[in-house]
Amino acid sequence: MQLFLEQMLNGLAIGAIYALITLGLALVYGILRILHVAHAAIYTVGAYAGLAIFSSTHSLALAVIGSMLFCAFLGVLIERFVYYPLLKFPPYVPLIGSIACLLAIEELCRMVAGPYILSFPAELPFPSFTIGGIVISSTLSAVYGISAGVLLLLWIITTKTELGLAMRATSQDMAIASSMGINSHWIISVTFMIGSAVAAIAGILVGIYYNQVYPTMGAVPAYKTLALIVVGGLGSVPGAVLAAVLLGVAETLLIGYAGIPLPRDALAFIAMIAVLLWRPQGLLGGRR
Amino acid sequence: MLLDVQDLHIAYRDIEAVHGASFSVEEGELVSIIGANGAGKSSILNSLMGLVPPRSGIIRFRGEDISRIPSHVRARMGIRIVPERARVFPRLTVRENLRIGLYGIHEPAKEKERLAWLYELFPILEERGSQDAVTLSGGEQQQLAIARALVSDPKLLLVDEVSMGLMPKLVDQVFEVLQHLNRERGLTILLVEQNALASLEISSRCYVLETGRIQFEGASGVMRDDPRIREAYLGL
Repeated sequence: MQLFLEQMLNGLAIGAIYALITLGLALVYGILRILHVAHAAIYTVGAYAGLAIFSSTHSLALAVIGSMLFCAFLGVLIERFVYYPLLKFPPYVPLIGSIACLLAIEELCRMVAGPYILSFPAELPFPSFTIGGIVISSTLSAVYGISAGVLLLLWIITTKTELGLAMRATSQDMAIASSMGINSHWIISVTFMIGSAVAAIAGILVGIYYNQVYPTMGAVPAYKTLALIVVGGLGSVPGAVLAAVLLGVAETLLIGYAGIPLPRDALAFIAMIAVLLWRPQGLLGGRR
Repeated sequence: MLLDVQDLHIAYRDIEAVHGASFSVEEGELVSIIGANGAGKSSILNSLMGLVPPRSGIIRFRGEDISRIPSHVRARMGIRIVPERARVFPRLTVRENLRIGLYGIHEPAKEKERLAWLYELFPILEERGSQDAVTLSGGEQQQLAIARALVSDPKLLLVDEVSMGLMPKLVDQVFEVLQHLNRERGLTILLVEQNALASLEISSRCYVLETGRIQFEGASGVMRDDPRIREAYLGL
């Protein structure tokens, strides 16, 4: 029972991290209807930028803020110079552009930082505590605290602010949103900034959680998050978050605890196929 | 002259939909453009709003050429549209749809007053305030689209095929509202319509658009009696 609960807690943490990475993808799909595969590269850059700033300043706070800003900038660069000019073509064209960005940025990371696995020796300033004999490490409580904080903040932005209202209107009908005085290109850019900044946080968290930062760390998340936004319901941010948390728990429990002999990363795709067969609109997706 | 359009050409890829339309709207007028389906009416309104780029031509709004100005800036200059088929934001509530109409405008006192006025005009919108717009009926969505365009106190209201898909009784109601807005509140309206009879009844001047060209123009009262118009557009 204790092992089960511990695995459950680990699974939740992994799910929370998946959720942070998937968020940006779901936001971008919601507004531009393109698959932003290069998002995983931004997450990798986030980890590297955080590590670089941390190594030179020894301040985790600076590392997080600096990396978020850098990634937000990188996200907008990709939006302005890759996606926006390609939007007039069928959706596979920006998708190809996106894959090109993913590979190019991965290679760039390899060229700059080397093909090695770097360690991220930072301590997250969160308390560890024990409940009923189960230890929640400071890393775990940091993952919970930070992801809950980020999700709450995003929920407030999208549901309670004028910016969030404009984002939702733009994702539902961009032309009419423009004709209501909303600068929809600016809203698109803001969406990329938010998604990319959250990816930076995820990159740093993963780097510290596994104590590993390497050029291809975005490869598995790149396709896993695609499966997750399908499972959640394309364009549904809450659906993507729910799917991510469920996947983290399912991976840990089924593969780790129950010992089902399946490659761990296959689970996301089994879930995706199941959803496509029986619930094509996804967990929380509406009809379109 | 509030709106002055000279030699407007609109094309989609290689196919030209509007071949040099010229027309104008004075402040306080209610002008209609009538014509059959596919005559290019919606293209013209969309290019006035900035949703479709014109191939060539000049669109002057209060003397300024706005033909290269992005849509959201035109909206802030006071041009608002009631789009074809309403196009309310389906998964925003009725109240949120109205708040979108107020985007970028921060005058809380005036907003309250205008919302109260619009709720008086369209009581159903207050009743359904917290419902998603997608749950409204076609007629209610049209009312919401009109309110969404009016809440910002526009200088020029563009109305695109507002009668389409509505029951005849509702069409009369909506046209009455437009006429009321024009006569009592002095709102300038440019209306494009397939429903020629109803448009001629409420507008002061009218343009007839045929396959991308303006064929006739004149006072609506005179047009109503013109045998060519009666035969081709009024079915009389």
